Amino acid sequence: MKQYRITVNGKSYDVTVEELGAHRPAPVSSGAPAPAPSAAPVAAPAPESAPQPAPAQPAAAPANGGSIMTVKAPMPGTVIAFKVIVGQQVKRGDVLLLLEAMKMENEIVAPQDGTVAALRVPASAAVNTGDALVDLA
Amino acid sequence: MEEKLRELEERRAKVLAGGGPKRVAAQHEKGKMTARERIEMLLDPGTFVELDAFVKHRATELGMDKIDAPGEGVVTGYGAVNGRNVCVFAQDFTVIGGSLGEMHAAKICKVMDLAVKIGCPLIGINDSGGARIQEGVDALSGYGEIFYRNTRASGVIPQISVIMGPCAGGAVYSPALTDFVFMTEGTSNMFITGPQVIKAVTGEEVSAEDLGGARVHSEVSGVSHFSFPDEQSTIEAIRKLLSYLPQNNVEDPPFIDIGDDPNRTDDSLVDLMPDSPNKPYDVRDIITRLVDSSDFFEVQPNYAKNIVTGFARLAGRSIGIIANQPQYLAGVLDINASDKASRFIRFCDAFNMPLLTLADTAGYLPGVEQEHGGVIRHGAKLLYAYSEASVPKLTVILRKAYGGAYIAMCSRHLGADQVFAWPTAEIAVMGPEGAANIIFKKEIEESPDPAAMRKDKIEEYKRSFANPYMAAARGYVDDVIDPAHTRPRLCNALNALLGKRQSTPSRKHGNIPV
Repeated sequence: MKQYRITVNGKSYDVTVEELGAHRPAPVSSGAPAPAPSAAPVAAPAPESAPQPAPAQPAAAPANGGSIMTVKAPMPGTVIAFKVIVGQQVKRGDVLLLLEAMKMENEIVAPQDGTVAALRVPASAAVNTGDALVDLA
Repeated sequence: MEEKLRELEERRAKVLAGGGPKRVAAQHEKGKMTARERIEMLLDPGTFVELDAFVKHRATELGMDKIDAPGEGVVTGYGAVNGRNVCVFAQDFTVIGGSLGEMHAAKICKVMDLAVKIGCPLIGINDSGGARIQEGVDALSGYGEIFYRNTRASGVIPQISVIMGPCAGGAVYSPALTDFVFMTEGTSNMFITGPQVIKAVTGEEVSAEDLGGARVHSEVSGVSHFSFPDEQSTIEAIRKLLSYLPQNNVEDPPFIDIGDDPNRTDDSLVDLMPDSPNKPYDVRDIITRLVDSSDFFEVQPNYAKNIVTGFARLAGRSIGIIANQPQYLAGVLDINASDKASRFIRFCDAFNMPLLTLADTAGYLPGVEQEHGGVIRHGAKLLYAYSEASVPKLTVILRKAYGGAYIAMCSRHLGADQVFAWPTAEIAVMGPEGAANIIFKKEIEESPDPAAMRKDKIEEYKRSFANPYMAAARGYVDDVIDPAHTRPRLCNALNALLGKRQSTPSRKHGNIPV
């Protein structure tokens, strides 16, 4: 949790920003560098009529400012089934797909909240460690 | 006399004030306690006895002659945790940044020597800007003296490091040499070279938090064993950890009966194991049903999650638990899991804590990255640590135990004293699919319906080999047990093994493949 004080049109707001990128896979596909502390989405609603002290909530949006996070295969295996479809909202910990590897149907879960942007391989595909499986926006 | 007493009081008050109200307030603003507040919270009330309060530095170079450093930037002493002796030092960031000079280090060394002499745990709270540059090689000498003592005390007394502020450069190696590292989220950092140096040398830009914060070290690097959101919860966890540990290597761990019947059976264990051998489950659900009052204190919960390590009690006696975690990476053994488990095993062995191993793993993780990363020498640590351990060793094979992983997970062959298997156990040289493909290659290829033949042969292999009875027939498994009765059997076996004495060959030390 980081606390920022942001001043918009002379009025100051206390904003709490939570870092959700708690997991390894760095945003790869879009060359966006590490999640910059994005004060931007907060400052955005700045029409001259001072905005209502909108409860400091924008943190719920992807903290990495709309960049894509790619979930990769943690080990070599076969995709058995996707549990999500493109466009679906997911929460951190939701099961994205089943990957059969090392004689186990492994649940691959969402490392953070987001929306499924793309399924990068077809079901029943054989994948290697590090292969892209699902894009989350 | 009165005047002299007044002088004593004045001098002591000055030391107690540390860096003064302004710096103390700055420390509080960051969500950090002062060194003295941390010690007060860690120890039982009123038990702290301070040592060396009046020690002063003797540096004169670079303006040091004009700098007064109350307490030399570190508070040292002894006291009690849960009524048992501990020695402690806490660096005081409010006094010249908690920087380490000659006499600061001398205070730490003195309390370390005391801890070894009286045989009690040592807890070091780190919050320091690093070496006191003005003191030059005397500061370096200070670090070296501490590292030397950390190493000499390793395996003699439990050593716990707590990072509650910056800990950079050479300073990181004292915690690294100790048994457990605690970090507080948001305020603690550990790195060899900081963000500025990295930027200058490699051009990489990284924040201190992303480089060496609590999350990084507890999830990615494995440097830290525990991380907590604030200083209070960090300190509570240290007190809990100490409750499992003996005071030193010649003492047994404390016996604490928390009132859970050793003969308690648990039918739900049967339902926890999925019917299909390919379905994952959380092995911690099994652990908490086996141990006293479901109390399991996990070590490195967020690092190499494919293996679970931690402390618990069986019939009042502290044990160390190592378990494959099918829920994460299929519970495979890999470089990091081997590293994590073998260090934990060696700690337990050094401090007379029996080992309980729960095995369910299909093997070592295949892959170029693992092979090139040295999984051979890292995986060997696990074999070494288990073989070397002379404490009572209990193993329960829950499900899969194939090939090298069967051997590695504290099999009879590595010196397990009691090996139990659940009826779901599959102890074999490899998994049924792979084995059938090799053994029955010819039959499958020549069959008019290879797919059906393959299926048949896999079934045949499963019936004949993927069970615990082949291993039990050789005596590699002592008994195949009803899962519901696991706890009574373990408590009974542990009790029987308490008198275990095993001498090791005389030598300087072994040569674990580090």
